[in-house]
Amino acid sequence: MTNTVLLNSIEHKDLKVVTSFGDQYGDNVWYTPTFPLEFRSIQAHYPIFFQKDPNTGGFYPVAMTGFQDNENLFLKGDTWNAGYVPLMIKRQPFFIGKQDKIEEGKTTEHRVIHIDLDSPRVSSNEGQQLFAEFGANSPFLVEMADMLETIHHGMEANQAFIQHLLKFDLIESFTLDIELNDGSNHNMIGFYTIQEDNLRNLDREALAELHQAGYLEAAYMMVASQSNLRNLIDMKNKRNELIG
Amino acid sequence: MTKIVIVGGGSAGWISAGLLAAKHNCKDSTSVQVYVVEAPDIATVGVGEGTWPSMRNTLKDMGISETEFIKQCDVSFKQGSKFVNWQSGASDAYYHPFTLPVGLPEFNIAPYWLPLREQVSFTNAVCAQGILSEQSLAPKQISTPEYAFNLNYGYHLNAGKFGEFLKQHCTKQLGVNHIQGKVTKINNDQEGFIYSLDLDTKQQVLGDLFIDCTGFSSLLLGQHYQVPFDSKQHILMNDTAMAVQVPYENESSPIASCTISTAQQAGWAWDIGLPTRRGIGYVYSSAHCDDSVAEQTLYDYLTKTGVSADIKDNLTPRKISFTPGHRKEFWHKNVVAIGISAGFIEPLEASALVLIELSARMVAEQLPQSREHMALVAKRFNKTFSYRWQRIVDFLKLHYVLSHRDDSDYWKDMRGLDSVSDSLKELMDIWQFQSPSKQDNQHAEELFPFASFQYVLYGMGYQPKATGSAFKPQDIQESRRLFEQNQQHLSRLHKALPTNRELLSKINQYGLPRI
Repeated sequence: MTNTVLLNSIEHKDLKVVTSFGDQYGDNVWYTPTFPLEFRSIQAHYPIFFQKDPNTGGFYPVAMTGFQDNENLFLKGDTWNAGYVPLMIKRQPFFIGKQDKIEEGKTTEHRVIHIDLDSPRVSSNEGQQLFAEFGANSPFLVEMADMLETIHHGMEANQAFIQHLLKFDLIESFTLDIELNDGSNHNMIGFYTIQEDNLRNLDREALAELHQAGYLEAAYMMVASQSNLRNLIDMKNKRNELIG
Repeated sequence: MTKIVIVGGGSAGWISAGLLAAKHNCKDSTSVQVYVVEAPDIATVGVGEGTWPSMRNTLKDMGISETEFIKQCDVSFKQGSKFVNWQSGASDAYYHPFTLPVGLPEFNIAPYWLPLREQVSFTNAVCAQGILSEQSLAPKQISTPEYAFNLNYGYHLNAGKFGEFLKQHCTKQLGVNHIQGKVTKINNDQEGFIYSLDLDTKQQVLGDLFIDCTGFSSLLLGQHYQVPFDSKQHILMNDTAMAVQVPYENESSPIASCTISTAQQAGWAWDIGLPTRRGIGYVYSSAHCDDSVAEQTLYDYLTKTGVSADIKDNLTPRKISFTPGHRKEFWHKNVVAIGISAGFIEPLEASALVLIELSARMVAEQLPQSREHMALVAKRFNKTFSYRWQRIVDFLKLHYVLSHRDDSDYWKDMRGLDSVSDSLKELMDIWQFQSPSKQDNQHAEELFPFASFQYVLYGMGYQPKATGSAFKPQDIQESRRLFEQNQQHLSRLHKALPTNRELLSKINQYGLPRI
């Protein structure tokens, strides 16, 4: 359950937020939504594929952290074993909210910070302080606000990124078949990736269009990110050996 | 170069134009040219509002986006037909779904269901679609790509909007030429082939092949060539329809997943749910029922299905009279008739649009290169479609022959043995001893798979004389596994599928993904 409210320095002045990781905080996920703005950091650690939003049928990129539900191979106790943690994980328990503001008779939309008060990360005695003594935002909250802003722009850019890829037939479905050291086979369906043949055969105009928007780079980073699958399989084998 | 002239728009004309133009790449090449001559003031019949699953491939082959089609033609999903009151008239019902029984084509499960007939209906034992349709669920999810499905489906659509939509697509995307004008004179050459058409606009249209899509008037095949009409009225007596369109009770009323066909005293009522309205009609035998009684029957049906009195008071039913049957041949000289100009029969299994699709495909795929070639293709076409019509007539007749209704002379007459064809009699005799199976097929490409006969036969409560010999233990085990598989499929889909209304509103908002 979530109990998402607008964050304010009066009601929430004593709230703290835990920034360590753990199963209890909902971090044991097998993939996390991401966006081209952070692909450079993501592709250094995680394979990036597309998933479909079951509510809209639209595609969105995800960073894979496991092979099945409730399996984050990077999560060990309270640490996340990677040099970069996806922003969609780090932003918890905050959300971007929208608020209409009327100024001089004109309604404009403003982005505001929401917090999920039911999140196990929200605490009164441990973690990072949100507000300084007189209600000013703490450095931690300032950082979070910046992060939410980045996520907001990133998610918006996702739409255009996907539209461009679809326009040039650059997305294809694929089934991931992996064989583990113990001989077990896993196949994961419902993922999509870059159609590499079409990517290589783009004509001059298509290339220019994708390049100018920055999507060509993002598409190639997705292709390159697939090499992290090997690492993910190794982690899975290692975990199986420990359990076995 | 081959110049094809299609006379008449409507669903028949534009589906034919679209399939021909797509197949022969008319957009980029001039080796085949397609013209549609359409008289601006002629109304289309506009009652063909239910399709088969084949329409998905038809649209896809024409390069149509399913999302655009759904948005622009008032489309909803059709997963089969529900037959109400056909058996005894005492609130009985069964489904004829578009999904084949579990196990096919490898394993024919029907004989293994027969011993279980008292416990579970045939449809529900072998297919999830009946139960899911009963709950007005959609055949797919918003994340399912265009034309792909969880459950096989066709469409319900607004025929008027569909014709207009196809016209736009054909002329803008597929290189079809549209000529407005009414045909005033048909000119033959020395061999008796049509050479040209004179239009009221003074234009003369030349062509190598003419496709008659002029509906009931059958201008080229019927009027010009006087190809005789083969009436089937002695078999299928329904010859009149009264149709209305009614709004839903409210904006959240469920949209039915099937065409609902409810048997009445002298015919049956169709009920087709589009997103915006229901299309309802009563098709009956005028020999057994006069128009005022028919109108009353239609109004009673509306009342029973929740249409309020003030809506009913403002309705004016549209009456359509027809002689059931088809032309003795469909391709004569260089004219081929597609659609109602070739034949028309009560829409009990929505055969009108699928026949158009199949006819247009056959013309497109075997487009004659010369008159010598044309004679061969015409012969083949006539043979194929005579057989198809015979099978349609038999299959429709089966629905009546199996009925136990005796509340009117109509039902007794419809069951009269002199009204049943020899081919259907033979099938009925065989089915006393064995289930419908692929052995019944005479052609590789049957219009109705034998599974359709199973759904109707067992849905109507048919009692065979014998339930077959003893089964192999492995086969019994396999049948149990398949029955179980169907149950699992059902519970999975039950959780996953949205209602028709939910899905259609999402498609309007987000569109279906192409992949």
